[in-house]
Amino acid sequence: KMENFTALFGAQADPPPPPTALGFGPGKPPPPPPPPPGGGPGTAPPPTAATAPPGADKSAAGCGPFYLMRELPGSTELTGSTNLITHYNLEHAYNKFCGKKVKEKLSNFLPDLPGMIDLPGSHDNSSLRSLIEKPPILGGSFNPITGTMLAGFRLHTGPLPEQCRLMHIQPPKKKNKHKHKQSRTQDPVPPETPSDSDHKKKKKKKEEDPERKRKKKEKKKKKNRHSPDHPGMGSSQASSSSSLR
Amino acid sequence: MAEKFDHLEEHLEKFVENIRQLGIIVSDFQPSSQAGLNQKLNFIVTGLQDIDKCRQQLHDITVPLEVFEYIDQGRNPQLYTKECLERALAKNEQVKGKIDTMKKFKSLLIQELSKVFPEDMAKYRSIRGEEHPPS
Repeated sequence: KMENFTALFGAQADPPPPPTALGFGPGKPPPPPPPPPGGGPGTAPPPTAATAPPGADKSAAGCGPFYLMRELPGSTELTGSTNLITHYNLEHAYNKFCGKKVKEKLSNFLPDLPGMIDLPGSHDNSSLRSLIEKPPILGGSFNPITGTMLAGFRLHTGPLPEQCRLMHIQPPKKKNKHKHKQSRTQDPVPPETPSDSDHKKKKKKKEEDPERKRKKKEKKKKKNRHSPDHPGMGSSQASSSSSLR
Repeated sequence: MAEKFDHLEEHLEKFVENIRQLGIIVSDFQPSSQAGLNQKLNFIVTGLQDIDKCRQQLHDITVPLEVFEYIDQGRNPQLYTKECLERALAKNEQVKGKIDTMKKFKSLLIQELSKVFPEDMAKYRSIRGEEHPPS
């Protein structure tokens, strides 16, 4: 065994071929080129001194068996041996998202968004991916719609046919919906606060509430005044709209 | 940082609410609703203007494309964050395992080599010794 080891690493005079394939750089210099014809002494420099690879530096040069030795990577370098989540101060995020069960549906994340948002975007052509694949034409500015243009928005009176009323379809709410609604109007703290930002959002909405309520009331009044034919319509709308918020 | 998001969020919420109210007006249109409809339509325009203005503040924000897939499938995008963190931790643990194993291997190798080639290893230690004492 001993002989093998020194034969491999210790034989300065007759080294093994440099393992360049392993990516160790030039390693031991290749056998010196045949001296040029008529070359005087001193043309061939001492191999170890002149061509020591950059990795095999000062300490390695001339240190016997360890001519392939390289600098060790610095211990200050950040590697996978440290907990990178702690290193980047992400424990809070980790506990928040991985500590408890995250609800599966998009409507759990955006509870106040009207419409059926849990359906795949490909169904109704509302996928965000398509925004990237077929970007909309940009560059125009948004101008207010003036008198003559507004004339184009005269609609027929009466309710829409049932199949067109997409606005009223809502993902089924959980059983605590009623409680939730109450807490909106009375209790400033909602029962479930999935995240800080959500909490803020809800608070913000609460601030808008009085104005919105007023608007809704006005609308209701208008409806009752002008459409005695559809008394059921108005009430169902009012209830559905209040359940949205 | 968070402020500009709040700003955008506020505008988006207003916009969505406007669209919702527009939907309600349209779904049972009455002649008297025309004024309200006109007003709402222009609210939509100003809403779009407001959202467009938010772009200037958000040009340096990057969003991972994968998160769109979650949203497009009607899934909670927080699941993406969750899975990312879980993947990162799992990979982190794997790499740590590898590094620890290599460290153990190194110290065992040095230990065993020192038994068999004491002189060479003493040399090795003297080169490495000061900065990295063999563990």
